[in-house]
Amino acid sequence: MTALLATEHLTMRFGGVVAVDDVSLAVADGELRCLIGPNGAGKSTLFKCLTGQIKPSAGRILWRGQDITGLNSFEIARLGVGIKTQVPSLFDGLTVLESVRLALRRQARERVARVQALATLERLGIVELAQHLVVLLAHGQRQLVELAMVVAPEPDLIILDEPTAGMSAEETTRAARVIRALNAAHTIIVVEHDMQFIRAIAKTVTVLHQGRVLIEDDVASVLADRRVQDVYLGKTDVSWQVVA
Amino acid sequence: MALDIVFAVGFQVLSGVATLLITSLGLAIIFGMMRVINLAHGEFLMLGAYAAILSARAGLNIWIAMLVVAPLAVGGIGLIIERLIIRQLYGRMVDTMLATWGLSLALIGAVTMIFGNTVAGFSAPLGSFAIGSFTASAYALFLIVAAVILLGGVWAILRFTPAGLIARGTMQNAEMASALGVSPDRVYAVTFAAGSAVSGLAGALIAPFSGVVPTMGAAFIAKSFITVITGGAAMLAGTFSASGLLGTVATLGTFATTPVFGEVMMLAVAIVLLRLLPQGITGRFFRRAL
Amino acid sequence: MNGIRLPIELTAASVVTIAAILILPHVLELFALINATVYVSMAVLALSLALVWGFGGILCFGQATFFGLGGYAYAVAAINFGDTVYAVPVAIAVPALVAAALGYVMFYGRISDVYIGAITLTLTLILFNFVNSTSGDQWRIGAAPLGGFNGIPSTPPLNMPGDPGNPLPPEWIFAVAMLSLLICYIIAKLILRARFGRVIVAIRENERRAELLGYDVRAYKLGIFVIGGAMAGLSGLLFANCVFVSPTMFSLFYSGQIIVWVMVGGLSTLVGPVIGAILLNLLTTWAGTLPEINPSLILGAILALAVLVMPRGILPSLATVLGRFRGARGMT
Repeated sequence: MTALLATEHLTMRFGGVVAVDDVSLAVADGELRCLIGPNGAGKSTLFKCLTGQIKPSAGRILWRGQDITGLNSFEIARLGVGIKTQVPSLFDGLTVLESVRLALRRQARERVARVQALATLERLGIVELAQHLVVLLAHGQRQLVELAMVVAPEPDLIILDEPTAGMSAEETTRAARVIRALNAAHTIIVVEHDMQFIRAIAKTVTVLHQGRVLIEDDVASVLADRRVQDVYLGKTDVSWQVVA
Repeated sequence: MALDIVFAVGFQVLSGVATLLITSLGLAIIFGMMRVINLAHGEFLMLGAYAAILSARAGLNIWIAMLVVAPLAVGGIGLIIERLIIRQLYGRMVDTMLATWGLSLALIGAVTMIFGNTVAGFSAPLGSFAIGSFTASAYALFLIVAAVILLGGVWAILRFTPAGLIARGTMQNAEMASALGVSPDRVYAVTFAAGSAVSGLAGALIAPFSGVVPTMGAAFIAKSFITVITGGAAMLAGTFSASGLLGTVATLGTFATTPVFGEVMMLAVAIVLLRLLPQGITGRFFRRAL
Repeated sequence: MNGIRLPIELTAASVVTIAAILILPHVLELFALINATVYVSMAVLALSLALVWGFGGILCFGQATFFGLGGYAYAVAAINFGDTVYAVPVAIAVPALVAAALGYVMFYGRISDVYIGAITLTLTLILFNFVNSTSGDQWRIGAAPLGGFNGIPSTPPLNMPGDPGNPLPPEWIFAVAMLSLLICYIIAKLILRARFGRVIVAIRENERRAELLGYDVRAYKLGIFVIGGAMAGLSGLLFANCVFVSPTMFSLFYSGQIIVWVMVGGLSTLVGPVIGAILLNLLTTWAGTLPEINPSLILGAILALAVLVMPRGILPSLATVLGRFRGARGMT
């Protein structure tokens, strides 16, 4: 079966630095995939390549077998990809409802869009915030508003960049639950470095190290792998500290 | 004969580059150090020109009027403006541009009210010399030398003096510098005053060429503006490379057709460059330069 | 809620327009009426920048470019065509096309804010220099001499449609200007109500998020920029009908003036910049009669103060203060 999203020999160089080095991975429909690795492993560069913010130096990105390398962010979004950034990226001057309505780009009929937007807010438990200005919301609420914007158009794939950054342990557990629930309807790729979080949600984990794929396996095998422990416990990368 | 032309054109190109460099440097210092774009830069040039012409009329030696009075006067004005406007808006780049644009209009209005809207001028205080069958103004040669000295002087101050070290440190990391006991407020005040002084000096230096009118800044602001932006973050290397490139393009374009076409060429090159190098020339090359 | 407000606002604007057209020509002397027409043309110009900058968030420092191009395109086409009505589409199309070309380079080239300010400002100054240098007989387009720094004093006014020998009287020109302002206002309102306008505002709020939601930010920015260019062109046409076209239309003073109107009137309102343009023109005209005060000084001081003290705009801030005052009285 063709993968939903795949990369083939994806490489990104900045001057002399190779941030992503010959990465080939395939994410199947319905999968919940974690991309992990210590700081500097190339996670965020890979995220930027996948979301069209930068154009890879070499290699291809495939969407259902179609080459989509070098497309702009908005074109990738239009394929049916929802993208959540690390720091919530929101429309501060608009209301929550207006924001989610904008996310329903393809719905031209105002009344239908409104119903759909409210349904999404209901699903995420923030329907009472619908008329609030985004700028006035608390940090956790902002995260949920962004999530509402991402899931509202029912994307086939959701890519989340470090969704637990800055969260407490309790919030992290709750976020893991939300993401597992989302996985019932959407394929999900999570870029993350928090090991506890990975344990809580992951099925298949791809570990990146120094721009390359170190290992790709189910979460238990990955956690048991000596190379991963080396990388995470600092034998190869002293600067890395385990958050979990 | 052919060699004459090459020399004459070369000389024109050099003097075009020097003029652009001199008139952009003050803006570049302020932008490079403070990330502030001073849209009243053209009026700082104008004030420098007026300071020079007024003190020369009052009987002061023309060289002292140009090289000492003009930078001191405009540097002092810069100090006041930093306190009243720039400091209030620090970190708000667009607001600073708007406020300094307001300042620019106000200065034009104020100077027009005081001195009238007539062209004053003083002739170039040096004669001319011959390149083969062409004559060139000795003052243009002086401008080229002045540009080199100015650029070298600022570089030396930044590179070799304690004040320059503080300036470079603040430019790299303002928080760190203030953790080390450097007051960023003072660094910014001094930087803005220094940039203003350089602009004032520049205004006095170009006055013999441009004539002195309240609106003379308009002729320079756009060119300085795109030179600095094209140059990018490193203020000296950026201004040097951008004025070298854009000044050459503008002068050659002027030679080939008309001065206006030279400006069009310059803008076109700047747009293409910004398309290729969004962070300016020094965003890509000479990143470690000053 | 908004569904009810829109018709009320549009009706109010229409009533004001019709009242002005019916009353002002009888109240004002000819010179004052022509001045009023100039102010209305400026109001259209302010409206164009309110759309581009206030709502589109595009830092256009050279809106005067399109104003001047509209004026010149009208003058040149009117002189060549004879029937000046046919010059109207030219005056709107030329600046719109230039805005499209410039906008394409800037937005599809992903040139950022401050650079857009630099490029638009430089362009208008280059045009200023260019038009200034077009004196002499070699600079003519068809029958129209460009006239260098003198401009084109023989700019013909609009005539009755189909009757080139019959120019419109000043009262009619005033009516045309008022109606143009009304139409531009309605268009702007409708744009902002439509999906296109809401996406424009979203892009101003957060360009990256709009892009991640699948909107082609470049195309939207280009769209609003071209609409703004066309409106500024129309305003240049109206201006040319009361005065005549000259290089000052491209000057730094004009570009700065437009910014001041919008800044004073408030970003992200439409009525504010219109009122700002009219009030500040009244102010500068009045100041022009005092020999000791220069209008540039007043405008500049107002701009600097507005940025420093009331970054939301002077009129909106006043409205808030008044509203609070009224609200306080209502409670007692």
